[in-house]
Amino acid sequence: MVRRTRLAAAFFAATLLAAPSSAQDLAIRCGKVLSVNDADEIFSPGLILVEKGKITYVGKPREYPASVPTVEHPDGWAVPGYIDLHTHIHTGGWGDINDMCRNVNPELRAAAGMRPDNRLMQVACAGGVTTLFGISGSGTNISGFGLLYKTKTSRSFDEAVLANPGGMKVAQDSNPGRLAGNHAFGRSRAGMGWALEDVCNRALAAVRQDRFDPSLEDLKKVMTRELPVLIHTAGSEGVINTARMWKNLYDTRCVVSHGSFDGWKAAPALAEWGMPVNHGPRTMDFYSSRNGRINGSGAEYVAAGVPTFSLNTDSSVMPQEELFLQGSMSARLGADSYQMLRALTIHPAKTFSIDDRIGSLEPGKDADIVVYSGDPIDPRSAVLNVWIEGTNEYKREAGNQRF
Amino acid sequence: MTLPRTTLSTRSFASAKSAGVCRVGILALALALTGLAPAALADAEGFADGAFAVCAAKVLVCEEEGLAAIDQGVLLVRDGRIVAVGGVDEIAIPADHEIIDVGDSWLMPGMIDLHSHVGGSGGLNDMVFQVNPGLRVGTSVVTGNANLVRPLAAGITSILYIPGSGTNIGGQGVLMKTHETEFEDAVIRNPGSLKIAQGDNPKRWGYRMNRALMNHHIRYALRQGKAYAMRWQEYEEGRASIPARHINLDVFRDLYNNEIAISTHTQYFQVVLATMRILRIEFGFPTFIDHGSFDSWLLGELAEEIGVPAILGPREVMFPRPGRFDTDGRVEGSAWGFQKMGVTKIGFNTDAPVLPQEELPLQSAMGVRYGFDNSTMDAVRGLTIVPAVVAGIGDELGSLEPGKLADLVVLTGDPSDPRTTVERVWIRGETVYEVSEEVRLW
Repeated sequence: MVRRTRLAAAFFAATLLAAPSSAQDLAIRCGKVLSVNDADEIFSPGLILVEKGKITYVGKPREYPASVPTVEHPDGWAVPGYIDLHTHIHTGGWGDINDMCRNVNPELRAAAGMRPDNRLMQVACAGGVTTLFGISGSGTNISGFGLLYKTKTSRSFDEAVLANPGGMKVAQDSNPGRLAGNHAFGRSRAGMGWALEDVCNRALAAVRQDRFDPSLEDLKKVMTRELPVLIHTAGSEGVINTARMWKNLYDTRCVVSHGSFDGWKAAPALAEWGMPVNHGPRTMDFYSSRNGRINGSGAEYVAAGVPTFSLNTDSSVMPQEELFLQGSMSARLGADSYQMLRALTIHPAKTFSIDDRIGSLEPGKDADIVVYSGDPIDPRSAVLNVWIEGTNEYKREAGNQRF
Repeated sequence: MTLPRTTLSTRSFASAKSAGVCRVGILALALALTGLAPAALADAEGFADGAFAVCAAKVLVCEEEGLAAIDQGVLLVRDGRIVAVGGVDEIAIPADHEIIDVGDSWLMPGMIDLHSHVGGSGGLNDMVFQVNPGLRVGTSVVTGNANLVRPLAAGITSILYIPGSGTNIGGQGVLMKTHETEFEDAVIRNPGSLKIAQGDNPKRWGYRMNRALMNHHIRYALRQGKAYAMRWQEYEEGRASIPARHINLDVFRDLYNNEIAISTHTQYFQVVLATMRILRIEFGFPTFIDHGSFDSWLLGELAEEIGVPAILGPREVMFPRPGRFDTDGRVEGSAWGFQKMGVTKIGFNTDAPVLPQEELPLQSAMGVRYGFDNSTMDAVRGLTIVPAVVAGIGDELGSLEPGKLADLVVLTGDPSDPRTTVERVWIRGETVYEVSEEVRLW
């Protein structure tokens, strides 16, 4: 644990960019401020103060200099900007996310297809989604390395991007086998498992021998826990295999992504081994019970106690702006609404160790703030205002609703 | 503008309105009748067969105009029909009624989706001919099929199962129940509508037609059909000899008599305008806009004037698409738009399986998100009484008014909130779904 924190800190110090200086100082007064901090403090009414793109105060209303511009939302609810760790909208569409000549591609980076400030990002921002992990598809076992970025108006790649690479994308189970075709090696689970272990072992050997290998440099960072790995996996057998390989065998900073169908049946083991789950876009299981009973898989993972349970859209499988709805539907099927707010904010931040910057409304963190007209997990509530790093990126006024 | 003979205020389309007025009278009569129930029908506990009362924290009555909801309400059911509805202090529960107290939960009418393709085994598009008014999708109905199990558990009790949009006239839809039963019991009305598709899909799947030729096809068929219906009317009034039967044209008699409506796949300003001009103004048939996506809402004023309701979905928003639509970058909700233009009958659809059939209520939530005013529970009416009236079954279904069939749903709160879950469903007074620890289907 100590080693993980130190490495993560070193990594972010090296790669993260300072917040833009264009952001103004700001005071936001709201009917409710949901800080989503460790104490789950809610201030009603509440005040948020922002300086140079960072939050300086969150709490009950207090005195502040009259020169600071104030935004008032007497009935609004302020929450941290949402974070989605499984997204594909960085290219502005479905194109350019799968290179499928080989089944392991650890040298590829999704950043090559990045188009900052595209239309899908603009709508995502209007839906309160401020930070994304943009990744390649699940057409191959290792499709490459993704990038962490914000959905802000940016004039350049560097302004939008938090970290590149931000982590690796692995796909186990179904898609890579299906897309590989009938005669390709690696179509079966056994073949996929062999291919992944083989490349991981080669990367570990390169680490041990301190040997430079241009195709394995990023993967070496996964094997040494410098970068996280997000793993497309589903079904109880898929999830447990993923955990056995990436957690127990290689002890990487691995995250189950999807975990759909009856994957939740592996949840007690994941909880015991401390493996985070990033769940979606399917958050319900109506296949595994014999009497047709529907199981809320989100609720099952939470109940089993997996660490930092978070939700995803797999955008554009689900529209990026509808990330909150994954929380609504999980709540429908048994999860607690407030816990789902954590699953959209602080949990994904902790999952990728970026909670020093985002994920909650706390002094020192980026001023990524969303104000809703009401309960953020209720689809009838609208997003009224979105700030990213203190800059107002979306404002819903009469005639300007984007989502 | 002079309107043709037909209007929507005829027997089947407007009777829901008058039911609200005579509510008190029916209530008094019903209570008098229940006192006379023969003792032989009572069971061991003294309850009459098929007689029960539901007490709920909120009863969504869903009258078309008027009462939307009653706090702390009671609903009396006897022999599959609603006998009385009111506040707990207004309604005396007869001694032979089993009392079902659902506590904090809410009670509402079964929901109705007028655009569904999951009622059977498919066969929705016969695409040899461009107009097929004689084809009946009722031939493929599979009652209570696997795709209807979750919708029923979601409180959706009735659907209009219709042909696809591969041709300009796809054929006849069927209004049916979602629970598993005999075909004759499942069918509410067959034909339940005539499906016409204008714009996009028939053009895409056809043989390089454009709108002019498609509209010519539609007008040609409608002209034949209306003439056929008029000949039959002359015969029935004793003014002509019996006409030759033509099964391709029989459906137009139902349309001409206002028994059913045309469910029209139509979207975009100019396509919806053609729908209203041709189907409603020129031929006078009961017609509703089905889809009504993109910039259709701009025609809301005309739609209301000539009595064309809007059943919206599955796409309920217009996203800014520079170059194609003239917008300033904002999202425009269809329901918001039609409401803003003064349309009074606004409902929602899923086009299932385009959206899952069970997610019909979510369509109303998204309508509210995009600005649809829900201060008088119009989102819930759009799932219940509006589709019932639009489909011509508003005298039997769509609200909790005395005399109507007891299609009831008990749920944990507002149906438009997806966190609300369904606890029990009745169709015609029979329990067809009940949630339990072991079985929760949606």
